[in-house]
Amino acid sequence: MMAPAMSVLATLFITPIVLTPRTQMIFLLPLCMAVSIVYKTTRCDRLRDIPLAALVSWITIVVGMYLVGIVLMVLFELAA
Amino acid sequence: MPLAAFLGWLVPGAGHLFIGERARGTIFLVVIGLTFWSGIAIGGVKNTVNSKDRFLWFLGQVCAGAHPIVAMTWGKHSGAPETGGDPGWYAYGHTEDTAVVYTAIAGMLNLLAIFDVLARIEKGTGQESRAAPAASRRAGP
Repeated sequence: MMAPAMSVLATLFITPIVLTPRTQMIFLLPLCMAVSIVYKTTRCDRLRDIPLAALVSWITIVVGMYLVGIVLMVLFELAA
Repeated sequence: MPLAAFLGWLVPGAGHLFIGERARGTIFLVVIGLTFWSGIAIGGVKNTVNSKDRFLWFLGQVCAGAHPIVAMTWGKHSGAPETGGDPGWYAYGHTEDTAVVYTAIAGMLNLLAIFDVLARIEKGTGQESRAAPAASRRAGP
Protein backbone atom coordinates (compact mmCIF):
# COMPACT_ATOMS: atom_id res chain seq x y z
CA MET A 1 0.00 0.00 0.00
CA MET A 2 2.75 2.45 1.02
CA ALA A 3 5.24 1.42 -1.65
CA PRO A 4 3.09 2.41 -4.68
CA ALA A 5 2.17 5.70 -2.97
CA MET A 6 5.84 6.47 -2.31
CA SER A 7 6.66 5.55 -5.89
CA VAL A 8 4.02 7.98 -7.19
CA LEU A 9 5.36 10.72 -4.87
CA ALA A 10 8.89 10.06 -6.06
CA THR A 11 7.80 10.24 -9.68
CA LEU A 12 5.81 13.43 -9.08
CA PHE A 13 8.13 15.46 -6.88
CA ILE A 14 11.64 14.05 -7.16
CA THR A 15 12.13 13.45 -10.86
CA PRO A 16 11.99 16.73 -12.86
CA ILE A 17 9.88 16.88 -16.01
CA VAL A 18 11.39 17.96 -19.32
CA LEU A 19 10.16 21.30 -20.67
CA THR A 20 10.72 22.74 -24.11
CA PRO A 21 10.29 26.48 -24.85
CA ARG A 22 6.85 25.74 -26.36
CA THR A 23 5.58 23.80 -23.34
CA GLN A 24 7.07 26.47 -21.09
CA MET A 25 4.68 28.95 -22.71
CA ILE A 26 1.73 26.74 -21.74
CA PHE A 27 2.90 26.67 -18.12
CA LEU A 28 2.35 30.43 -18.02
CA LEU A 29 -1.43 29.87 -17.99
CA PRO A 30 -1.91 28.17 -14.58
CA LEU A 31 0.63 30.51 -12.98
CA CYS A 32 -1.32 33.56 -14.21
CA MET A 33 -4.52 31.92 -12.93
CA ALA A 34 -2.99 31.55 -9.46
CA VAL A 35 -1.86 35.19 -9.47
CA SER A 36 -5.33 36.35 -10.59
CA ILE A 37 -7.20 34.31 -7.98
CA VAL A 38 -4.99 35.41 -5.08
CA TYR A 39 -4.98 39.06 -6.15
CA LYS A 40 -8.74 39.21 -6.66
CA THR A 41 -9.31 37.39 -3.35
CA THR A 42 -7.52 40.24 -1.63
CA ARG A 43 -9.37 42.93 -3.62
CA CYS A 44 -13.00 41.72 -3.77
CA ASP A 45 -15.16 42.45 -0.74
CA ARG A 46 -17.83 39.94 -1.73
CA LEU A 47 -16.65 36.37 -2.28
CA ARG A 48 -19.14 35.75 -5.07
CA ASP A 49 -17.39 38.41 -7.19
CA ILE A 50 -14.06 36.58 -7.11
CA PRO A 51 -14.55 33.99 -9.92
CA LEU A 52 -15.57 36.49 -12.61
CA ALA A 53 -13.02 39.11 -11.52
CA ALA A 54 -10.27 36.48 -11.48
CA LEU A 55 -11.25 35.24 -14.95
CA VAL A 56 -11.18 38.77 -16.42
CA SER A 57 -7.86 39.46 -14.71
CA TRP A 58 -6.42 36.14 -15.97
CA ILE A 59 -7.41 36.90 -19.57
CA THR A 60 -5.97 40.41 -19.28
CA ILE A 61 -2.65 39.15 -17.89
CA VAL A 62 -2.30 36.32 -20.43
CA VAL A 63 -3.16 38.51 -23.44
CA GLY A 64 -0.88 41.28 -22.15
CA MET A 65 2.04 38.92 -21.54
CA TYR A 66 1.73 37.26 -24.96
CA LEU A 67 1.47 40.69 -26.64
CA VAL A 68 4.62 41.86 -24.85
CA GLY A 69 6.33 38.62 -25.92
CA ILE A 70 5.30 39.07 -29.55
CA VAL A 71 6.45 42.72 -29.60
CA LEU A 72 9.81 41.79 -28.06
CA MET A 73 10.22 38.92 -30.54
CA VAL A 74 9.48 41.26 -33.49
CA LEU A 75 11.96 43.84 -32.15
CA PHE A 76 14.56 41.11 -31.71
CA GLU A 77 14.04 39.90 -35.28
CA LEU A 78 14.28 43.48 -36.63
CA ALA A 79 17.46 44.18 -34.65
CA ALA A 80 19.10 40.88 -35.66
CA MET B 1 -1.66 41.11 14.77
CA PRO B 2 1.89 39.65 14.75
CA LEU B 3 0.49 36.17 15.49
CA ALA B 4 -1.88 36.34 12.48
CA ALA B 5 0.99 37.49 10.26
CA PHE B 6 3.27 34.73 11.56
CA LEU B 7 0.57 32.10 11.05
CA GLY B 8 -0.04 33.49 7.56
CA TRP B 9 3.65 33.16 6.77
CA LEU B 10 3.97 29.68 8.27
CA VAL B 11 0.94 28.20 6.50
CA PRO B 12 -0.47 30.32 3.64
CA GLY B 13 -4.07 31.25 4.48
CA ALA B 14 -3.75 30.43 8.19
CA GLY B 15 -3.71 34.13 9.10
CA HIS B 16 -7.10 34.62 7.44
CA LEU B 17 -8.46 31.47 9.08
CA PHE B 18 -7.21 32.82 12.42
CA ILE B 19 -9.16 36.09 12.06
CA GLY B 20 -12.29 34.24 10.92
CA GLU B 21 -12.04 34.80 7.14
CA ARG B 22 -12.52 31.10 6.44
CA ALA B 23 -13.33 31.25 2.72
CA ARG B 24 -10.45 33.60 1.90
CA GLY B 25 -8.09 31.57 4.05
CA THR B 26 -9.07 28.35 2.30
CA ILE B 27 -8.57 29.96 -1.12
CA PHE B 28 -5.06 31.12 -0.15
CA LEU B 29 -4.25 27.76 1.44
CA VAL B 30 -5.21 25.83 -1.68
CA VAL B 31 -4.00 28.18 -4.43
CA ILE B 32 -0.62 29.10 -2.92
CA GLY B 33 0.06 25.52 -1.84
CA LEU B 34 -0.85 24.20 -5.29
CA THR B 35 1.34 26.81 -7.01
CA PHE B 36 4.34 26.00 -4.81
CA TRP B 37 4.07 22.22 -5.15
CA SER B 38 3.43 22.51 -8.88
CA GLY B 39 6.82 24.21 -9.08
CA ILE B 40 8.38 21.40 -7.07
CA ALA B 41 6.67 18.83 -9.31
CA ILE B 42 8.13 20.57 -12.38
CA GLY B 43 11.71 20.93 -11.16
CA GLY B 44 12.03 18.17 -8.59
CA VAL B 45 12.45 18.49 -4.87
CA LYS B 46 16.23 18.19 -4.99
CA ASN B 47 17.27 21.41 -6.62
CA THR B 48 14.30 23.79 -6.90
CA VAL B 49 14.68 25.39 -3.45
CA ASN B 50 18.39 26.15 -3.33
CA SER B 51 19.70 28.86 -1.00
CA LYS B 52 23.30 28.55 -2.21
CA ASP B 53 22.98 28.92 -5.98
CA ARG B 54 19.92 31.21 -6.19
CA PHE B 55 19.82 33.25 -3.01
CA LEU B 56 17.53 36.04 -4.28
CA TRP B 57 15.04 33.52 -5.64
CA PHE B 58 15.31 31.69 -2.33
CA LEU B 59 14.25 34.86 -0.50
CA GLY B 60 11.07 34.85 -2.60
CA GLN B 61 10.51 31.13 -2.05
CA VAL B 62 10.95 31.32 1.71
CA CYS B 63 7.98 33.74 1.92
CA ALA B 64 5.80 30.66 1.35
CA GLY B 65 6.56 29.59 4.92
CA ALA B 66 6.60 25.91 5.75
CA HIS B 67 6.38 24.76 2.13
CA PRO B 68 10.00 25.55 1.14
CA ILE B 69 11.25 24.22 4.48
CA VAL B 70 9.46 20.91 3.85
CA ALA B 71 10.75 20.85 0.26
CA MET B 72 14.35 21.53 1.35
CA THR B 73 14.20 18.89 4.07
CA TRP B 74 12.68 16.37 1.68
CA GLY B 75 15.30 17.20 -0.93
CA LYS B 76 18.13 16.62 1.54
CA HIS B 77 16.71 13.27 2.62
CA SER B 78 15.44 12.08 -0.74
CA GLY B 79 18.40 9.81 -1.30
CA ALA B 80 19.69 11.61 -4.37
CA PRO B 81 23.35 12.64 -4.34
CA GLU B 82 24.05 16.17 -3.06
CA THR B 83 26.41 17.07 -5.87
CA GLY B 84 27.15 15.36 -9.12
CA GLY B 85 25.69 11.88 -9.35
CA ASP B 86 22.70 11.09 -11.51
CA PRO B 87 21.80 14.17 -13.58
CA GLY B 88 18.23 12.84 -13.80
CA TRP B 89 17.63 14.13 -10.26
CA TYR B 90 18.36 17.73 -11.25
CA ALA B 91 16.45 20.16 -13.44
CA TYR B 92 18.23 22.30 -16.03
CA GLY B 93 17.35 25.09 -18.44
CA HIS B 94 13.67 25.76 -19.06
CA THR B 95 12.54 23.24 -16.45
CA GLU B 96 14.69 24.80 -13.73
CA ASP B 97 13.57 28.33 -14.67
CA THR B 98 9.87 27.44 -14.64
CA ALA B 99 10.11 25.55 -11.34
CA VAL B 100 11.95 28.38 -9.59
CA VAL B 101 9.53 31.01 -10.92
CA TYR B 102 6.50 28.98 -9.78
CA THR B 103 7.84 28.52 -6.25
CA ALA B 104 9.07 32.12 -5.89
CA ILE B 105 5.75 33.53 -7.12
CA ALA B 106 3.97 31.30 -4.58
CA GLY B 107 6.10 33.02 -1.93
CA MET B 108 5.28 36.47 -3.30
CA LEU B 109 1.57 35.63 -3.34
CA ASN B 110 1.82 34.58 0.30
CA LEU B 111 3.47 37.91 1.08
CA LEU B 112 0.45 39.61 -0.53
CA ALA B 113 -1.85 37.45 1.61
CA ILE B 114 0.10 38.43 4.75
CA PHE B 115 -0.26 42.14 3.92
CA ASP B 116 -3.96 41.52 3.26
CA VAL B 117 -4.51 39.89 6.65
CA LEU B 118 -2.69 42.78 8.35
CA ALA B 119 -4.85 45.30 6.46
CA ARG B 120 -8.03 43.44 7.42
CA ILE B 121 -7.03 43.43 11.08
CA GLU B 122 -6.27 47.17 10.84
CA LYS B 123 -9.66 47.84 9.21
CA GLY B 124 -11.43 45.40 11.52
CA THR B 125 -13.11 43.38 8.77
CA GLY B 126 -12.48 39.96 10.35
CA GLN B 127 -15.27 37.77 11.65
CA GLU B 128 -14.84 38.95 15.24
CA SER B 129 -15.15 42.63 14.32
CA ARG B 130 -18.17 41.88 12.06
CA ALA B 131 -19.93 40.05 14.89
CA ALA B 132 -20.04 43.08 17.16
CA PRO B 133 -22.06 45.43 14.84
CA ALA B 134 -24.39 42.56 13.95
CA ALA B 135 -25.05 41.92 17.62
CA SER B 136 -25.73 45.62 18.25
CA ARG B 137 -28.16 45.69 15.28
CA ARG B 138 -30.03 42.72 16.70
CA ALA B 139 -30.22 44.44 20.09
CA GLY B 140 -31.79 47.52 18.47
CA PRO B 141 -31.47 51.18 19.53
